[in-house]
This record gives sequence, C-alpha cells and structure tokens, in this order.
Amino acid sequence: MTVERLDDTAMAAGTASTTAVPRGVGSGALVASALGLAVRNLRNIRRLPSAFLPALMMPLVQSIAFSGTFFAITQVPGFPTDRSINWFMPLAVVMGASFAGIGIGFSTVRDLESGFYDRLRMAPVSRRALLLGPLFGVWVRTLILMVIVIGTGLALGARLTGGLFGLAALIVVGLGVSVVGTGWGLGLAYRFGDMRASAFMQLGLFLALFLTSAQAPLSIMTGWLYYVARVNPFTPVIDLARIGFVEPGTVERPWVGLVALVLLAAVAMGFADRGLRRLSR
Amino acid sequence: MTTATGPGADDAPIQAEGLVRTFGSGELAVRAVDGVDLRVGAGEVFGFLGPNGAGKSTTVRMLTTLLRPTAGTARVAGYDVVSEADQVRRSIGVALQDAAIDPLMTGIELLRLQAVLYGVERSQQKRRAGELLERVGLSAAGDRRVGTYSGGMRRRLDLALSLIHEPSVLFLDEPTTGLDPMSRMTLWEEIQRLNDDGTTVLLTTQYLEEADQLADRIAIIDGGRIVREGDPAALKAEVGAPTLFIDVDATRTDEARAVLAAFGDPRPTAEGTLGVGLTAGAAEVSAVIRALDEAGIAVERLELSEPSLNDVFAEATGYRLEGAETGGAATDEP
Repeated sequence: MTVERLDDTAMAAGTASTTAVPRGVGSGALVASALGLAVRNLRNIRRLPSAFLPALMMPLVQSIAFSGTFFAITQVPGFPTDRSINWFMPLAVVMGASFAGIGIGFSTVRDLESGFYDRLRMAPVSRRALLLGPLFGVWVRTLILMVIVIGTGLALGARLTGGLFGLAALIVVGLGVSVVGTGWGLGLAYRFGDMRASAFMQLGLFLALFLTSAQAPLSIMTGWLYYVARVNPFTPVIDLARIGFVEPGTVERPWVGLVALVLLAAVAMGFADRGLRRLSR
Repeated sequence: MTTATGPGADDAPIQAEGLVRTFGSGELAVRAVDGVDLRVGAGEVFGFLGPNGAGKSTTVRMLTTLLRPTAGTARVAGYDVVSEADQVRRSIGVALQDAAIDPLMTGIELLRLQAVLYGVERSQQKRRAGELLERVGLSAAGDRRVGTYSGGMRRRLDLALSLIHEPSVLFLDEPTTGLDPMSRMTLWEEIQRLNDDGTTVLLTTQYLEEADQLADRIAIIDGGRIVREGDPAALKAEVGAPTLFIDVDATRTDEARAVLAAFGDPRPTAEGTLGVGLTAGAAEVSAVIRALDEAGIAVERLELSEPSLNDVFAEATGYRLEGAETGGAATDEP
C-alpha cells in the first residue's frame, strides 16, 4: 500500500508499530471514491431490482398510456405537435429522471437506518464524494431509463423534429432533473434519517413537476393552474425537454429552461450538502 | 468533571477534556455525556464499561468524528476531532455497534469499497482484501453476500473493514454483543493480536468479563460521567471483601438482611438475592450460615464470589450490570 506518513506529532501520538495512512484526499481520490460509491449503487440495483423497476416502468407506462388516452389534446388549436407521444414522452423522461434521483434518497435512508452510512461518513473522503458518488450512479440509471423510454417512444411513432440538438436537449434536461431529484432525495434523507423522508421526496417532486405545463401548454391553460405553472421554474425546464419533439420555434426562450435547470440543480445539491453537514451536529 | 488519565498522557493517542454532548434543547435536553476526561496511552487496550444509555457510544461517536461535542475538546492520533476531522479519520479504524454492513454486498466487495474510500492503491486492493479476509477467517465466505453471514461472521468482517488502512488507533463499540461464546473468543484473540502488534484499542463493552480479559485499564461510565477508572486488578483490590450471595425464602428476606448486616456491608444483587461483603473474608461463611440457622431462616442457595469487576461496577454505580458474571440480570439497588 502506498502511504503517507503522519507528521511528527501524530507519529508521537501513534504506536510503536508501522502506522499506515492512506494517501491524501485530492481530486483523484475524490473521483475514485465517488466512482466506488457509484459502482456500489449500480450493483445494488442489479441485486435489488424492485428498487429500480418502478422508477423505470412508471414513465414507460405513463408515456404510452397518456399518449393513447389524451390523443385528442393534439386537436386543440395551437397545440405544438400533432402527435401525443411527442408531447408525453419527454415528460416521461423528466419524471423518470426525477424518480431515479429520489430513488437514491430511499437507499440512503436505508443506509442511515442500518448504520452503514456512518461507515461512509467515517471514511477520510471529501464530503463531496458522498454526494457525487450517488449522483454518478443516478446518472447511469437515468441514461438507461432514457434509452428505454426514448427508444420505446420512437418505436411508437414519436418524431424527432428538432434533430440532434433536440435530442441533446432532452438528455441534458434528463440528467439535470436527476441532479435535482438526487439533491432533494439526499437532503430529505439526511434531515429525517428515516422513512418519513420518503413521502416528502415523492410528493414534493411530483407536485413540482405536475403544476407546470406537463399536461398542456401554457397557451391553452386557464385558472389558478396557469398562474402557478407560469411561475413554476420547472415549466421552462419541461419546455426545454420537449424542444426536439414539438414544432420548431414553439419554445421561444430555451435558455430560460437551461438557467432554471442549473439553478434548481444548484439549490437541490446545496440542500443535500447542508443536510449532510447537519448529520454531525 | 470526571477523569480517566493513563500513562504517557502527553503523547496519548486518545485524549478528551471536558467532553460534553447534549441532545435536544430547553427542558427536553438530555446530557448524554457530561464532562468526560480521557487519556488512553499508546499501545493500550482501554475498556470503556457501562450499561445501555450510559454514554459509551456517544463518547465513541464524538471521538470518531461522527458527532460534534457540545463542549470540551478531544484529540485522536494527535489531531483535533472537530477541526482536523479528516486526519483523525485517516488514522483510526472503527467497528461500530451492530456491525453496520450492506447485506447486498459480498465481503470482498465491501473490503474493496473500503479500500477505495481509504485511498489504498488500486493494485493493492485485492491483495489487502484477501489478507484481511484470511486474518479474520472469512476467506471461504468472501464471495458470499453479507446478508447470508452469521452474526459472528459479520462482526469479524466489520473488524476486517476497520483494519483496511492499518490504523494506529482502533475503536471497537461493543464488538461482541449478541455473539455466541465461540465467536466472542475468536474476536478476543484477534483484538489481542492487534494489540500485540502495537495498535491502541478503545473497547466499549457491557461485558465485564470481556473488559477483564482484554483491557489494560478500564473506565466505568454511568449517567454520562466516569465513575471509576484504573487497572482492573487494582480496582478489584479496592473493593476488598468477597461477596456472599444468598437466596432465602422470599417472606424472610428482611430478617435475613438484618442477620447479614452483622457480617459486612450489603452489596447490590439480582432481585430475590441478598449479598453481603464479608468484612473478615471467606472464613466467615460458616458463621453466616450458623447465624441464619439460629434465626430459623433456611438458606436455599449460597454463592461466594471473589471481588470482580461487577463488584467494582456495583460499588461505583449502586447496581449490577445486566448479564454480568455474578449476581444475575437484575439491577436492583442494595
């Protein structure tokens, strides 16, 4: 093992035997630790598929069922696409990405309750590794989900109207929303420390995503939902996700969605970071 | 403030001064650790004894950087546990209560993850994991998921995990609680081997026998405060007189207690049993029996016990530790 020696003070305080101390925590160690934790998360998905399958099946079913059930919505004047699958499939990707994020919140609650998380907290790794590791795992889960949901959508007739840029936008939004879900899930897991967190994880993100233009564009919405959706930062994010599947030019200011996504991700990960620090208090 | 000071205090790998930890606030505040001073010398096995809720685990959680002290300071391996937490983590190994191990992972996977987190070179991880599995006798089970392990196997794996980076200071929080005698012996041997190699060990336990067997020095904590500290043999010698435990008819307990009072001070015992510290030593047993006989009190059971750590504990706290070697499981006041 390659080791660094403790300084003189520490050596004096140590033992007569060889004191092996791991290497310092640099960026290499941060990435290695985060990847180690990500691999653990992914391995556990394979061993406990029941923890992942609902997060995969729900958006898939939602995509297929909504586009079939609400086909008539495309007949509304001003609707930005003539294919309902084009409207609902990107939403399903966003929902699935958020579920993938909060899924890591559930498994963190399990680790906190079992005490395994204490082991991770006692490791001499940057606290950022404890946040980035799960996030890397969530990104892989989200990519798997996107391949399946987008692939199914295309097989069912979805048409990519925005070219590769549109597809890239959907992927970026999916990954970004998974960061939001991860931060939200981890933050609540750290604060509650038990399964009470799960209800808030699901309900919070579900409401935040549905009180938007999720079901219908703002232009045909009325009443209180219109006002809520208009100020909901997830609305421009969902609009950005759809940019490659609606009529070109329908999403007027895609950069607003990108800015909103970055801000939401930063706030969510900040929420998680503060929660992690609170664990020691 | 309570104190446990040991040899070589200046370069002691574990030092705490006025350590306090409070949970909650206002009227609901609980002072789980109430001003603990602690010094554990290099190469020592230090036993930290106390019943559930005494403050053992909270103290260990502060020393291992998991909890911030409400007040006081602590240094481990020369580093402050608050301001130099990362250096502390690099220097210590910890096996916490309940062997918190992910049941979905295999033993090897857990060791390799631990090796990654502790910065062991990638090329060395497999070898190190194999060595440690062999050391704790789990080579054959390394590829099995931990969920299939017995309690003893989990504890041994937990110990192996804590050793991945060859720490100079090892914290073992009730490492043998709930284990069968054979598994307990195996862990004791391993802890002894580690100490022989020079590792400083702080061991919390509810088992007095364990502390007696392993510890160079012990501290007894009760209600968040250290109430006794020292060499086990010296502490037992301080208690002095052997204890005579007697069971009599439950309706005659008060009379029997009055008879026994003539032979020494009462000692805490399990419910239904009387105990007396024989001031004049074991030779008085026959006199006690005669006195009870003359009072018409039949003795149903009798046991003479040389001073034990449980007597030390009982004298310090006023009650006996549950599951300790003599005196049964109850924790009655004398």
